[in-house]
Amino acid sequence: MILGLFLASAAWAAEQDEAQGSVVRVRAAIQPYDQFRPWQKKAPYGLNGIGVVLPGGKVLVTAALVANRTEVGLEKPGSAEKCAAEVEAIDYEANLAVLRPEKAEFLKGFKGLALGPALKAGDTAEVWQLERNGELLRNQAEILTVGVGRYPNDEAGFLQYGVRVSLPKRDDSYTLPLIRQNQLVGMVMMYDRDSQEGTAIPGPMIDRFLQDVADGKYEGFPTLGVSWTTLRDPNLREEVKAPKSGGILVTRVNPRGTAGRAGLKEGDVILSVDGMKLDEDGNYRDPLYGLTAIGNLVRVRPKVGSQAKFLVSRDGKEMELAGTYDRRARDEAAIPTLAFDTQPRYLVLGGLVFQQLTGAYLQEWGEKWTERAPQRLVELFSFQQEKRPDPEKKVVFLSQVLPAAINLGYQHYSGLVLKNVNGTEIRSLAQLAEVLDSVKEGNLIFEFTDDPGKLVLDASEVKARQEEIRKAYGISELRKL
Amino acid sequence: MKCWFLAILGAVISGCAKDGQLHEAKKNTVMVEVTSQVWDYRLPWNPGTVSSGRGAGFIVAGKRIITNAHVISGARNITVQREADPRRYAAKVKYVAHDCDLAMLEVEDPAFFKGTTHLDLGGIPELESVVSVYGFPIGGDRLSVTRGVVSRIDYNAYTHSGRESHLAIQIDAAINPGNSGGPVMQSDKVVGVAFQGFRGDVAQNVGYMIPTPVIRRFLKDVEDGRYDYYVDIAVRWMPLENPAMRKYLGLANDGRGVVVTDVFSEGSSDGYLNKGDVLLSIDGHPIESDGSVRLEGKPVQLEEIVERKFSREEVRLEVWRGGQTETVNVPLKPADMFSMYEILYEPPPRYVLYGGLVFQPLTANLMAVLAGSADLRLKQKYTMFATDQMYRETPEPVILSAVLPDPSNVYLRGLAGQIVREINGRKIRTLADVEPALAANGERSVIRFEGDSRPAVLKREEVDRSTPRIMAQYGISEASRTEVGSRRLAKGSYSQEEKK
Repeated sequence: MILGLFLASAAWAAEQDEAQGSVVRVRAAIQPYDQFRPWQKKAPYGLNGIGVVLPGGKVLVTAALVANRTEVGLEKPGSAEKCAAEVEAIDYEANLAVLRPEKAEFLKGFKGLALGPALKAGDTAEVWQLERNGELLRNQAEILTVGVGRYPNDEAGFLQYGVRVSLPKRDDSYTLPLIRQNQLVGMVMMYDRDSQEGTAIPGPMIDRFLQDVADGKYEGFPTLGVSWTTLRDPNLREEVKAPKSGGILVTRVNPRGTAGRAGLKEGDVILSVDGMKLDEDGNYRDPLYGLTAIGNLVRVRPKVGSQAKFLVSRDGKEMELAGTYDRRARDEAAIPTLAFDTQPRYLVLGGLVFQQLTGAYLQEWGEKWTERAPQRLVELFSFQQEKRPDPEKKVVFLSQVLPAAINLGYQHYSGLVLKNVNGTEIRSLAQLAEVLDSVKEGNLIFEFTDDPGKLVLDASEVKARQEEIRKAYGISELRKL
Repeated sequence: MKCWFLAILGAVISGCAKDGQLHEAKKNTVMVEVTSQVWDYRLPWNPGTVSSGRGAGFIVAGKRIITNAHVISGARNITVQREADPRRYAAKVKYVAHDCDLAMLEVEDPAFFKGTTHLDLGGIPELESVVSVYGFPIGGDRLSVTRGVVSRIDYNAYTHSGRESHLAIQIDAAINPGNSGGPVMQSDKVVGVAFQGFRGDVAQNVGYMIPTPVIRRFLKDVEDGRYDYYVDIAVRWMPLENPAMRKYLGLANDGRGVVVTDVFSEGSSDGYLNKGDVLLSIDGHPIESDGSVRLEGKPVQLEEIVERKFSREEVRLEVWRGGQTETVNVPLKPADMFSMYEILYEPPPRYVLYGGLVFQPLTANLMAVLAGSADLRLKQKYTMFATDQMYRETPEPVILSAVLPDPSNVYLRGLAGQIVREINGRKIRTLADVEPALAANGERSVIRFEGDSRPAVLKREEVDRSTPRIMAQYGISEASRTEVGSRRLAKGSYSQEEKK
């Protein structure tokens, strides 16, 4: 009896040590830029989470915890010892980031947590939290689902675990590690207190991310660059001359993307990718997870630069196509979706504020941004492949007019896409600045795609008033290109 | 019974209403009771739900009764009754103008007019002057009188049509359902028709009446036996306040003129005005740089000049173009490019049913029922249809509005709400294109949509088998209703044309 008790305590102590040497508190000071007043930042706030110490002495957190940070600090669980940290690598799509303490010796003595194996639905694990005194709080969690789903800053979807866990309210809970047998098996990124369900980034995603970081050059997760639809409908199968079973129908191809450069075309039926057969719903049989959506097959299994092999049926004939995985369909876009950490580009001229369109600007209009934001901007962003296929042609728009005598009559205009200035086509904000700088006197004729079409300012008068307007509105810099 | 509530009406404190006015109003104000049917665009083959309501009207010269369009829209039965006569008489709609919410009724039985005279139309009442409102609002069955002062005279949305704005007069009287269509009087004359207001939780003591210029325009328009709709100059313009802009256009800084920023293709000004034209005067009225003109000593928007004109009449514009002044006469017509935004009342909804797929033209009524489920592409198609002049390519976008579940279309249900681009290789520009395109198929029909959606593929033999089954299952008597040809006919003048 006594012996048993003693043994149990010893084991507990050992586990507690393990925990003490494996997690730290992460405190991030966040201050996003104000997209509507791009020369300034919004009110700062703090986010606190738990970071996982990795065997190499670095700390893993979710990207969401440190997005738009002004600084990040680490704090040991059992003491108030602190250390500033830098973000070494960050991927907003995969929602992962690696932090490096500024003082290398800060994490001395921390053993860190190794990555554990992939989990299956029905497996159990623990979600770790920290008490105020630094003691570990282990919450029993059950893996409900394993499947491809949306991440906070990614449209296409990555593999994720659906987790059921009852988490008590504690500080530092913005992101939490998912642990099994003292190994890191995931990072909890979203949690709903009402349903007591959350989602976690699976260990293999973390592994894939860390490998990419380790080689010194972070390349990210590739994308295919296609839209596709399921092929269950026998009439549709017949129409596109699909074989008896399997395969998905390509409905749009980005010519810059992995699939586009490999030669895939709209109307093709993709039968297999990298030797993995696809069923009619776009699932393949993953050796780790079983039936899994194509997203994991084309985004997580391959690396940027690795070979992509497609078996497609085109007009009833099967053919093999080969290419190289990359991110061009995502990275080379006229309107970037993600814009964290960076100051929005803008240019103020005669009170007219021009900005370069990003997804972040549109999101600033709130949850109903598709209804509230200027409809032309919503259209260009949402149907970018149709409306702005050239990634080099950015969308420069008049976001607002700061009223001044010089812009009388123009003050209610906003959300207008700039087409050209004095006849020169505008392709980026930087180029707009060049064009404007080249006009010393005479008219500045701004042409927009929508009503009222044209606005005119006098170049020399604009020049004379710039400083006055800058001061009146307290703008430190009139341009950020 | 419901009392029509679009309109509200106020009456006031008058010191100037004479005994004679009440007497005349009593004789010539009528209660209008209507049983109407409202089409259901979700189930376009159904005749719709029946409801009844009450409004007011008044007798004008020529034994004609004026009321609001919204009182009688969708009417299947109308009776009118006067204060002095307990009998109810059958009435019919002679003309209806949904764009300005007015209608004219006729009563066949001459007995109805016994003891009536008629009310004359007056002018625009002064601000702060007192008016009296007559009608049959909620709270009793006999004639009610309220009073108010004229609070504001301005352009305002006419909510019945969903898109029109015309001159309206705001009065501060209590407003109640059932006043709609009733006369608002001052000094023995009608100065307006009570027609709309706010719900009590939005604003109090704010009611609106249709002023006499709008009523007179309606009466004049129908003199030729049909209602032709408001005309529109169909341009967009921008005020010319900015000195640099004025200098660029070669204009003196004299506070005159507005610049045309867009000319709607197929509109009145198409071929007459260009982008960049500066409008200096309209029918001899100088245009200020904010777009206003002086009319009877009062500043009004330049459109008011156009508002008072009729189809095929001209408006004379003095235009600054290429450094000189030119005179341009623009023949006027209605702005059909905006007709998509008008709420339709009389015409039965048009549709084509094919294998459980329901095709409907994009209308304000359809958008109202799809509102919650419409995707961004459809919403933008609707909101940007006129401004982007999409009507040039596709005069009437066709929507796959619903997929009626049947074993034969189990894979197609997710496609509801898509915009039809082509059927069997034929471009779909209006609903009339749908049936011929579907008939052009071999054994399979392929329907393609805008954007990157998958196509819908249907086999002819399956559709032939499923159609009778679906029609029986969903109680659909006709597989299509496409007969209403012209879009204009489908709108304001429809009911009148029908009766001929």
